[in-house]
Amino acid sequence: MIKHESIETNAGLLIVLTLIVISIGGLVEIVPLFFINDTVEEVEGVRPYSALELRGRDIYQREGCYLCHSQMIRPFRDELLRYGHYSLAAESKYDHPFQWGSKRTGPDLARVGNKYSNEWHVAHLVNPRDVVPQSIMPNYPWLLEADLDYSDVQDRMRALKMTGVPYSENQQEFERNVAEFGPAIAEKLDILRAEETLMQQALANDYDGQRSRITEMDALVAYLQVLGTMVDFSKYDEGYFADFR
Amino acid sequence: MPEWLLWFTRFENSKILALLLFFFTFCGILIYVFTGKARSRRLESYKYIPLQDDDDDSDAARGEVEHDERNES
Amino acid sequence: MAQAGIRSTEQYNYDIVRKFTIMALVWGLLGMTAGVYIASELAWPFLNFDIPEITFGRLRPVHTTLVIFGFGGSALFATSYYVVQRTCQTRLYSDWMATFTFWGWQAAVALGALSYMFGYTQGREYAEFEWPIDLLIAVTWVVYFLLYVQTLRRRSQPHIYVANWFYVAFILATAILHIFNNLAVPVGLFSLKSYSLFSGVQDAMTQWWYGHNAVGFFLTAAFLGMMYYFVPKQAGRPVYSYRLSIVHFWALSFLYMWVGGHHLHWTALPDWTSTLAATFSIMLLLPSWGGMINGIMTLSGAWDKLRTDPIMLFLITSLSFYGMSTFEGPLMSLKSVNALSHYTDWTVGHVHSGALGWVAMVSFGSFYHLIPRLYDTRIYSTRLIYVHFWLATIGILLYITSMWVAGIFQGLMLRSFDDYGNLAYTFVETVAFLHQPYAVRAVGGMFFVAGVVVMAWNVIKTVRRASSEAAELEARIAAKMAGA
Repeated sequence: MIKHESIETNAGLLIVLTLIVISIGGLVEIVPLFFINDTVEEVEGVRPYSALELRGRDIYQREGCYLCHSQMIRPFRDELLRYGHYSLAAESKYDHPFQWGSKRTGPDLARVGNKYSNEWHVAHLVNPRDVVPQSIMPNYPWLLEADLDYSDVQDRMRALKMTGVPYSENQQEFERNVAEFGPAIAEKLDILRAEETLMQQALANDYDGQRSRITEMDALVAYLQVLGTMVDFSKYDEGYFADFR
Repeated sequence: MPEWLLWFTRFENSKILALLLFFFTFCGILIYVFTGKARSRRLESYKYIPLQDDDDDSDAARGEVEHDERNES
Repeated sequence: MAQAGIRSTEQYNYDIVRKFTIMALVWGLLGMTAGVYIASELAWPFLNFDIPEITFGRLRPVHTTLVIFGFGGSALFATSYYVVQRTCQTRLYSDWMATFTFWGWQAAVALGALSYMFGYTQGREYAEFEWPIDLLIAVTWVVYFLLYVQTLRRRSQPHIYVANWFYVAFILATAILHIFNNLAVPVGLFSLKSYSLFSGVQDAMTQWWYGHNAVGFFLTAAFLGMMYYFVPKQAGRPVYSYRLSIVHFWALSFLYMWVGGHHLHWTALPDWTSTLAATFSIMLLLPSWGGMINGIMTLSGAWDKLRTDPIMLFLITSLSFYGMSTFEGPLMSLKSVNALSHYTDWTVGHVHSGALGWVAMVSFGSFYHLIPRLYDTRIYSTRLIYVHFWLATIGILLYITSMWVAGIFQGLMLRSFDDYGNLAYTFVETVAFLHQPYAVRAVGGMFFVAGVVVMAWNVIKTVRRASSEAAELEARIAAKMAGA
């Protein structure tokens, strides 16, 4: 038997025991999350971000939006009325990193998609007080001025593919995506055509109201407009999701 | 996998087992630390380590603190 | 017992302790000023000035990084190097390794802060460093660990003093947390951008396992190590109970790692995980208070020191704030309380009662004890230590109370309904309500920073005096030699 005296006098033993003691908590709480099947709900519609939305998400992180806006609606009556259905784990399963947030200096954004028009978002991002007089959010006028840099968007998608996001890089993977997400979306998830589909999406939707250019505003608004819109909750009854909690 | 190992993989069992294990380890530490006169005296003697290294040569220590080391009970 | 004939300033490597101490003050001043600035941005949004680099979202990680890793980290390097040398009565194992950790750490903090301002961030709170800086931190940390352990092994007596246990646990835990939370795939070898390896719920749990144990081991265990050395040393009497400190150590190390999930109550994290985290959070109250009592009772029978010694005042007040915030923490980890407090400024206030009240105050107290010894002189002004103490205390009280008001009232407003069952307030109405508490909080921060400015002035004068004393001594010796 080990005497405590030998722990106190032996640096190596002290280190090993401390390591064991501090490892247990993390192991017990984190590792099972990867293996217990009903941790993430089985639900239709959740897909990886298109190239444009992905660049928008990068800008969302760059500007530190997650420090004031959560993307995680809790199952309370007031949050249901204010933001909509509570967030599912499945809805952020392609989020590297997660953007659930920890503080709501501004409102939750988990279901902000399709709630406001593109014009509203552009006006709000350029000067929030033009549309919400009491807002304390900073202005982001440079988003409208800066052309979007999408030269490395393929590398970004490849990096995400390595973490497990199903972007496609060959015919076989493309067909798998067609089977899972349908042909229209599978096209947007194709790494080889990323720049082309990015331009298409930006031009077709003209998020920033400047048809001639693709700006950072295009990307960010495209991202905001897709948030929380992927799952059609009318297809499921309430009890179904409760089983996973 | 042998039958007796499977018993541990069930959550109902392993949860209780882990709880008991941690609890008795904790009790073991408590008993070890707080029982035994000689051991207690030995452990408490270590608390003087920071004070043994007196900086008599330092200006800062001069006149600032007088070392009234409390008698050990 | 100091070796006869050799002054401790020569026997030990004090140079590295001095460097880290000064940098802790520099980062503290910068980081806390950044904090006051972003607090003011929330109260008066025009302060964002449409300049990308200083908007709230980019400056907030600068604030947290500078105060946690710049100020807190440097303070821990400084005191751990001092304590390990003094309690083992041996010099640091290697001078170049110590210097390496200094430059590695300072570079990481400076590069991190700059990179956030220019928009490079991992988007994970308190782990915003992008991957090249993460690697630099990892290398620095390994050297730190080796240096610390090798120094422990050179100690002149068999027992390892308990303060060193806490420092060792802090070094080990920080290494594990840093490595696992920062697993990421870089976009390219020449790109600063990376994407985290995990996603969604697993990523969230890993991040808050990291996030809360950055509090638990970086900002608590290590500072308890500081407490176990500097409180007895400043009081001139041993710690209240050494046996309690042993139980304190093992219980705290074990329990802390379980509680991160309480940051994710009511989210898509499975209920079993958050329940487990809440349970352990409640249990954590016991070792936390055990440690606090052990520290405060060190003064038992010598309470009068609080009246005459402002350094003691800093140390004991810090322990009181530690006790308060480790009571508030378990309270907020209860799911019903958390439903109200989460996402509000109550959390922000709670963090700062720990960060300002405990971490910063215990560091200030330890520095006031340490600095005269490092420079072999006396402190320039004891009166200024009192001034600093009161500025800091008033600042903290303004900060905490305004955040209680902000958090609790916003939480209540958000969940109130009118007679017809509709929401009584829109979100932005609660934002408008927050203006006054935000202004008071900014003023509280200004008080606290003013205290640090006073301390910086006091330290500069002390160091100046030390060098003029040294010059005088040299001149006298030279004169004697010439006369002989």
